[in-house]
Amino acid sequence: MTFYAPFCLPFILGAALMFLIVAWKWGKWLWLLPHEDKMRILRGLPTRRTVAAIGEVVSESLLHRRIFRVNPLLGYMHMSLAFGWFLLILTGWIETVAHIGFRYVPLQGHVFFKYFATGLEHKPVFDFLMDLFLLFVLSGVALAWGKRFYSRAMGMHRTTKHVLGDRIALSALWFIFPARLLAESTTCALYGGGSFLTGSLGGWMAEHIGVMPLMTLESVAWWFYSSCLGLFFVALPFSRYMHIFTEIPLIFLRRYGVRSSEKESSYDRFQVEACSRCGICIDPCQLQSVLGINDVQSVYFLRDRRYGHLRLQVADNCLMCGRCVERCPVNIDLNTLRLNSRDRMRNVPDERRYGYFKGLDRSSGEGKVGYFAGCMTLLTPRTLTAMSTIFEAAGEEVWWADREGGVCCGRPLKLAGETDSARKMMKYNADLFRKHGITTLVTSCPICLKVFREDYDLPGVEVLHHSEYILRLIRAGRLTPERGTTRFTYHDPCELGRGSGIYDEPRAVIEAVGQLLEPASTRENALCCGSSVANTAISDGQQVQIARAVAGELEATGADVIVTACPLCKKAIGRGTKGEVRDLAEIVAGALK
Amino acid sequence: MAAIHFGYTISKPRAIDLDRNNLRKSDEILREMPELQTCIGCGACTAICTAGNLTSFNFRKVHTLVRRGEYQGAYEEMNKCMLCGKCRLVCPRGINTRGVVMLIKRKLGDF
Repeated sequence: MTFYAPFCLPFILGAALMFLIVAWKWGKWLWLLPHEDKMRILRGLPTRRTVAAIGEVVSESLLHRRIFRVNPLLGYMHMSLAFGWFLLILTGWIETVAHIGFRYVPLQGHVFFKYFATGLEHKPVFDFLMDLFLLFVLSGVALAWGKRFYSRAMGMHRTTKHVLGDRIALSALWFIFPARLLAESTTCALYGGGSFLTGSLGGWMAEHIGVMPLMTLESVAWWFYSSCLGLFFVALPFSRYMHIFTEIPLIFLRRYGVRSSEKESSYDRFQVEACSRCGICIDPCQLQSVLGINDVQSVYFLRDRRYGHLRLQVADNCLMCGRCVERCPVNIDLNTLRLNSRDRMRNVPDERRYGYFKGLDRSSGEGKVGYFAGCMTLLTPRTLTAMSTIFEAAGEEVWWADREGGVCCGRPLKLAGETDSARKMMKYNADLFRKHGITTLVTSCPICLKVFREDYDLPGVEVLHHSEYILRLIRAGRLTPERGTTRFTYHDPCELGRGSGIYDEPRAVIEAVGQLLEPASTRENALCCGSSVANTAISDGQQVQIARAVAGELEATGADVIVTACPLCKKAIGRGTKGEVRDLAEIVAGALK
Repeated sequence: MAAIHFGYTISKPRAIDLDRNNLRKSDEILREMPELQTCIGCGACTAICTAGNLTSFNFRKVHTLVRRGEYQGAYEEMNKCMLCGKCRLVCPRGINTRGVVMLIKRKLGDF
């Protein structure tokens, strides 16, 4: 039995080219990884992480569990295409073995087995299974077609605008399975076999079409099927379908502890090309839903970056609120990638910059507990006064790091991409904290909190957000706020909630002084206030527009007061509402006897 | 009677000759950030400035000079900014001041 026919050529060429390009890409990216990352991979290989990674590959690359969480129908569509195709390949392989034993069969022999196996006796179990899985995939293709016309059925208001290369690959992919059905059915019509799908269609064809036209049709159908496969394989490494292969090494590398950082590295290539451009990140983006900006979302950012035409304007236009990161089914570290793109485009190391930090120390007070107000809290003096009241009521001796002015925490500059200069600010503040020997550092600004926890090297210093600190004081009985009847609603600041994982502490504090009402979008799904320091592109009017939308949702809870735990959010939301907006510290200080 | 010295100074009066200054960069900056033309020069940005509190950095002065074609030293001055964003929150005209800082640095990096 020879496993070769001329129509196999497009498939063979396409597959060979694809494997070569994918191998070259992977090899290059792995080779260019920094030494520490290579060591991480080597150390991780013989551990349980490998097993966990295999599990994740099955649940994400094949079953697409995370997409099911976005929308069940959308999840089914992706699963039927990926898992269904995988089952077809796997069962096809077993079928070949069942027919001719463990013999070397070239790749096209497996793929076009139906064509070559006409002389063999039929095995109805395999015929049935192959038809079943083909139906499974075809149902996914049908849904994908349907999604083009009516994406809302799958919970998506907007889908990705595709580039030409993607459209070619997409069309090829859509035709692969109908072509396969047609090809296998004609073979069944001529030689019998097949099950409920190919068998029935074949039987119908045999009744209605003569043998000669059928033979021509068979040849054409197999050529078409092979060409679709070949075209898809050639387009794959250059289109969004590169994600099929890239997500797998990405999962392994992530499990071994490789991460993106504020500087670009070759690991980023795995993340960028693992994006399937599914467009799930578009709907949660407030720049899209409120402002109608539709070319800066993560999917477009990654696309532009991948093909090398990223503009600063696109990189800059992002709130880095992290709503898309929460939804991304591939778990791509979108904010860090955005950050290191900005770093590449804007970072200018300057040794002499910030020379004025030398010898600067405007701190006051003495104490083991340090309080860092941060620029934004200095701009919201009510929060500062409230914190002062709270410290006094709890009898805490406090070292005030920056009440008389100080150096910014460095995060705004870092988010703008000037990471090297931001390091100078971080070093200055860290030295200041060490010099004054504090053991606890409290801040009422989540932006500062995040950078203190992630970028500052502060051994022996516990960094707390004021919500955590106040809750501790209340639980220890050092603060006894009176519980009133005021109804509060809470706005989760991005940097505090999604950024630092602090959701429960502020809520517990609010519960201690009044009643808490949850808005529609809350916790991981909370909206951004719109004035994020990460965005330097949108205008003031656009910021207010977002603030109005957010305030509207908060007011809809019927609460008397909007509470937040970030001075910037407080300022921002205040511009979007006529109602009262308070910081957490203010309502606690106000409830003290 | 000797005047009491409060620690403030007044800039010496001088004339800027707009015909002699090269306004190309200035025009580019205004084209990319047209809202800068709505600045009323109130100085709120400078009053609130974190860096201005620690140094003589004066955002209003620098961007006003840049718009008049006086680029000398503007980049170095702008580099004192920490980009904390307070100025953006106090600006009564809602000018994207952080954007202005970065734009001026981008345009005048080689001056």
